[in-house]
Amino acid sequence: MKHFPSIYLPLATAAAFLAIWHSLVRLSGSDLFPTPMEVVTGIRELIEKGLLLKYIVASLFRVSWGFMLAVLVGVPLGLILGWFRPAYQALNPMIQIMRPISPIAWIPVAILWFGIDDTAPIFLIFLASVFPITVSSMAAVQNMQLVYLRAAQNFGVTGMQLFRRVILPAALPQIITGIRIALGIAWLVVVAAEMIAVNSGLGYLIIDARNAGKRYDLVVAGMVMIGLIGLVLDLLIRQLEKFDEVKWGYGQR
Amino acid sequence: MKLISTTFLFGALWLGLITVMHGSLNLKWFAPKVVGATAADEKFRIGFLPVTCHLTCPVTDFINQQVEGQSSFEPVRFSGWPELKEAFLSGYTPATFILAPMAMALREQGVPLKIVYLGHRDGSAVMVHKDSQIYRMEDLRGKRIAVPNRYSNQRLLVFRALRNAGMTIKDIEMVEMPPPDMPAALYSKAVDAISSGEPFMGQTEIDGYGRVLWLTKDVWPNFISCVLAVHEDFIKTDRATVQRLVDGIASSGKWIDESMDNRMDAAKFVAKNYYNQHPRLLEFVLSKPPDRVTYTNLALRKPDFEEIEDLAREAGIIGGDVRFEDYTDASFVPEASAMKASAYEGLKGGEVPPRK
Repeated sequence: MKHFPSIYLPLATAAAFLAIWHSLVRLSGSDLFPTPMEVVTGIRELIEKGLLLKYIVASLFRVSWGFMLAVLVGVPLGLILGWFRPAYQALNPMIQIMRPISPIAWIPVAILWFGIDDTAPIFLIFLASVFPITVSSMAAVQNMQLVYLRAAQNFGVTGMQLFRRVILPAALPQIITGIRIALGIAWLVVVAAEMIAVNSGLGYLIIDARNAGKRYDLVVAGMVMIGLIGLVLDLLIRQLEKFDEVKWGYGQR
Repeated sequence: MKLISTTFLFGALWLGLITVMHGSLNLKWFAPKVVGATAADEKFRIGFLPVTCHLTCPVTDFINQQVEGQSSFEPVRFSGWPELKEAFLSGYTPATFILAPMAMALREQGVPLKIVYLGHRDGSAVMVHKDSQIYRMEDLRGKRIAVPNRYSNQRLLVFRALRNAGMTIKDIEMVEMPPPDMPAALYSKAVDAISSGEPFMGQTEIDGYGRVLWLTKDVWPNFISCVLAVHEDFIKTDRATVQRLVDGIASSGKWIDESMDNRMDAAKFVAKNYYNQHPRLLEFVLSKPPDRVTYTNLALRKPDFEEIEDLAREAGIIGGDVRFEDYTDASFVPEASAMKASAYEGLKGGEVPPRK
């Protein structure tokens, strides 16, 4: 791919977006919905109060734990389900039933089980990300090209050896893609997860701002921060795709 | 495998780092312990929402901290009724401020709770857009009105106003909406009228697009929306603590109603330390007019609750089995003559001290 000065194009889009946003608010004459400048002022106010860092850390803490637990459970589970047919037949329907249930629907259950400290949001984030990870790992094993397996069998590779030397490396690119998508989902549900009465976090910032009267600038500030951090998280997790072990799986464009 | 080992290493380092940061910034793990103070996890928790109906909860906590150095309970702020109710059901908050009809319905459904005290009197309103042609209840015919919850007393209040106007629920369209969303809904004219606890009604007035159709005191004098409910187990195991809580609520209620200076102070410290709202909002609803919401006369009286039962049955949220003697425990209500206002002297024009 040719490297066109790639930073200018997205910057121009963002500038146009902000300009349209600003003029639409001005045109509508609304004094409830904030202009971009008011949102920046809101973010500055949060920084001055020292709240922004606290909230970002709190949200990242919950997402990190929920997501890491989901990886630790989801990847092995997916590999097992992908390899052992009976396990797949037994568990897959259950997983497909649980998967479409929104984390918001789990909020009452989470409160009843865990109370309202950090565990409940971590549980919700875990739930939201564990299914995509499991399903993508499972599919990765199932879709593996049979030629790898046959070749390995011809060389007499079996058991743990087969798994470590052939199945896992072959499935890894797709597993990493699944993990990347799941991280996006985990970060997406942070607002819902923090609707529970925790007293910190970017999701809490949005809920709290709604309680605070006419502070929609802070609502939008929370949205902007969630979006920006989501972008950074995606850029970071993309670095995994650069490792030699998985690079072959993504094709050359 | 380089990929897997690197990921694990960085993952573990990141988890450690973010946990320590969260612990120090938000959970105060490394803050020095105050000598003699009760640890936060030994205190019992009380659920509340940032509305004036629950004002005595933070006021009592604040006054306890200022006068006695610490509070015996930990007020936990929720954002909506369902979460508040669920935390109470799970036992996380053994006591909570809650909607009176919701408490009655929960009791009817077998939840072991007792209403021990009222939270306030009055303190709700029905607001319409200032440009609308709605000036009387009759003008709401065919219009859409928002209430906080089906178990809210605001819903019953609308039932009562309809009854007074010779109308029924079929004449209007009622929708449920969380109170914090109501001002924006009224502003954008998504609904024609809104009704919830303050300060969300006053907010529309301050911002200049809301007009009072009526205040609760005009339609239902001595209106009760929220009560203090306690788990029965809590009463059985620790009567003394429940008594101290009720006494604290009673005397801080009296303190709030003692003078306008106290009300303005309460608006300042509650807005800053507990509700995270602009103090102007609470100042407005606590003073314009001064009897918009009151915090005295909070004893449990059977006729008040029978009135609520009557409307709640009409609204279909409780069955026929609720009994005042069953869902209340009036034994904690202090004698009106013996009740004193809290000994707190107010802010005296000073800054609000931080919450401990």
